[in-house]
Amino acid sequence: MDKVVILMRKAPYGSVYTSEGFRTIMGLAVFEMDLNILYMDDGVFTLVKDQKPEKLDMKPLGEGFSMLAEMNVKKFYVHKGSLADRGLSLDDLVMKVDQLDDAGVAEVLSSATKILPF
Amino acid sequence: MKMGVMVLEGPYQHQAVDSAYYFIKAALSRGHEIVGVFLYTDAVNNVNKFISPPGERNIAERMEELGKMGIDIVACTACSKFRGMRPDIKVEHVRLSGLGSLVEFLQKADRFISFGD
Repeated sequence: MDKVVILMRKAPYGSVYTSEGFRTIMGLAVFEMDLNILYMDDGVFTLVKDQKPEKLDMKPLGEGFSMLAEMNVKKFYVHKGSLADRGLSLDDLVMKVDQLDDAGVAEVLSSATKILPF
Repeated sequence: MKMGVMVLEGPYQHQAVDSAYYFIKAALSRGHEIVGVFLYTDAVNNVNKFISPPGERNIAERMEELGKMGIDIVACTACSKFRGMRPDIKVEHVRLSGLGSLVEFLQKADRFISFGD
């Protein structure tokens, strides 16, 4: 079975990438695949609590990701260094995710058969 | 080797689609197979038949050229709707389809390569 990593690297609302990444996960989730979601760089902002993007004419994304568990998407990872660089910790996030150090990120990426970067 | 390709950027603003084009040509010349090219987000604009760059490479014609060679070039349907890329303004030999095609290319390919920002 393919191990697919969806790599979320960008801040959630300045561009379409994060919401398209989310749409891709929804599309892939109905197929037989080992889906893994990895947040790093500005992508970690996607999961920050209390987002109010309505004034940007956008819908909140963070909560959407936490609902993916109902579609059997359960492997969520966040890069520890990216969180720390932005003054964030796991407590600031809308959902429970596994924290990875640099070696952990390398391990997840190198064990994937396909990587989709957004 | 079987390769799948995804492009995430439109014409002329970014190099992504140009790199994808040259990558595909190089891969084919080395005997690899391209199982499909998925044009996602702004990349759907690369198949607009009205693209007409004075004195420069025509990216839409390049996409059409790849499609003519039998490569399955797919522009995302939903992204096309968002961007007004109607079926009647796309070049020949490419088609509009949904994320199912992306999944199909992912599953068929030994390697999957993304070109984006």
